[in-house]
Amino acid sequence: MVEFLQFTLSGVSFGMIYAAVALSLVLIWRGTRLLNYAQGGMAMITTYIAIEVIYHTGSYWAGFVVALLAGILLGAICQVTIIRPTMNKPPLNAVIVTIGLLVLLEGLAGIFFGGQYRSFPAAFSVTGLKIGGTALGVSTFDVFVVAAVLVTTLVLAAAFRYTSAGLRMRAAAFNATIARLSGIRVARVLTVGWALAGLLGALAGVLVSPSTFLYPNSMDTIFVFGFTAAVIGGLDSPVGAVAGGLLLGLALSYAGGYLHSGASLVPLVALGILVVVLMVRPDGLFSATQVRRV
Amino acid sequence: MSSAAARNDEAPALAVEELVAGYGGVIALDRVSISAGKAAITAVLGANGAGKTTLLRAVSGMIRPRRGRIRLDGTDLTGRNPEQMVRAGIAHVPEGQAVIPELTVEENLRVGMMSWPRRGIWGGAKPSHAGGVSGGDQGFVPPGASRADRAAALDEAFERFPPLAARRRKLAAALSGGERQMLVIARALLAQPRVLLLDEPSLGLAPRVMAQVMDLVVRLSREHGITIILVEQNARGALAIADYGVVLNLGRVVATADAATLATDVALRHHYLGF
Repeated sequence: MVEFLQFTLSGVSFGMIYAAVALSLVLIWRGTRLLNYAQGGMAMITTYIAIEVIYHTGSYWAGFVVALLAGILLGAICQVTIIRPTMNKPPLNAVIVTIGLLVLLEGLAGIFFGGQYRSFPAAFSVTGLKIGGTALGVSTFDVFVVAAVLVTTLVLAAAFRYTSAGLRMRAAAFNATIARLSGIRVARVLTVGWALAGLLGALAGVLVSPSTFLYPNSMDTIFVFGFTAAVIGGLDSPVGAVAGGLLLGLALSYAGGYLHSGASLVPLVALGILVVVLMVRPDGLFSATQVRRV
Repeated sequence: MSSAAARNDEAPALAVEELVAGYGGVIALDRVSISAGKAAITAVLGANGAGKTTLLRAVSGMIRPRRGRIRLDGTDLTGRNPEQMVRAGIAHVPEGQAVIPELTVEENLRVGMMSWPRRGIWGGAKPSHAGGVSGGDQGFVPPGASRADRAAALDEAFERFPPLAARRRKLAAALSGGERQMLVIARALLAQPRVLLLDEPSLGLAPRVMAQVMDLVVRLSREHGITIILVEQNARGALAIADYGVVLNLGRVVATADAATLATDVALRHHYLGF
């Protein structure tokens, strides 16, 4: 029972990171029908920026805030300079551009920051918490991870639901033509969407890096798990992204904990879940099913 | 007669001059000229592929004209994008009861106010591309519209369309065909247009609902002074409410006259309008 609790809490912590990556992918997918393969690379760059700021200032929080701001800026710049010219072109163009952007970012990281593994500090203690004498399997930092992603997600959800800017973004995502005919500057809205995706990616980067290491390809695996979470939840559904992240985090935690040589099986379990979801419900667990009358 | 202009008014609200537009290598509009009088209903008729929808798309900026001019109250708007056109006073209601089904009725209507100039940090109006939005005879958007202005406009829309008020919190997906058409027209009106482009507003509606929509179109013109360009497959119904008619065939204007004259031209009706 204690083991189950430990695996569950650990799964929730990692699941929230996958949820953040999934949400960043969903934000872009909803607006442009584009899967941003460079999302992990963008998160990696902003995490490098964070570690440099932390190194030079000695302040974790300075690095944290700068990383988030850099994520916003990087997302907006990428959209305006690289993605916008591919709009109204064949969809494959944009896909190739995001893959090229990933290669570029990882190459630049190798050139400027080196290819060696670097450890990334945590905001809070990573020593496991205990209740009585029982270890919970999670640390104060894990609690911070869950809280940070949860708060960011709730703030974004509230902004989307209750503000005029949020309504603009939803309208542009659901029907760009009607949005434009109603006076919404869709190109500008898409830039904001990429900026928010950059913010979420940056958040995921600084939250996951204390548990892994930082190197130019370090976010590739996180991106794959984030993508898997997004597909599980439904690429059109922000709620699904969060739920998919949590489901995947829990499943991988249980698989890693209970299965014999489970750690090495984790990627295989993720792939299995992805295949099952795509076979049973290709649009994802939380997407609205489209019924077409024929 | 491809460049013939509909004699519609001495000083037209909307003037389309020698417009050429198309898709890729296809010319869908070939030197089309139309002038629509202030507060008049101009029906644009023709068979499938005549260029009716393309004409509306070109006027609203959805496609960029290759040649020609589009003027609104004398101001040249050629080449502007849809966001700028709606700010200038041209609202386009595309065919197919184009609501946003994932949004509520109220949210759909609020989308219609997105072209309003926003209040700046210090309370003043933010500049718009077309030099601000004014509704002319039928309404007025205050510069730097406040939350109260928007709420009042929303209330007015619900008063004008009571069935929508009863469903304001429902998703637009739950509306009937007639209610959807009502919603898209209400949304377009919230942009306070001087010219309203309506593409097949009766498409897919039951005859009784169709009559209600046509009645609404007449009221918008007569009571609110909005210039209306009405594209319709139902030529008989459109000519019954229109002041003027323009007949397109294969991207060219083949006839322009007042609606009553077109309705009594048996040869034209048989040849191009199918009744």
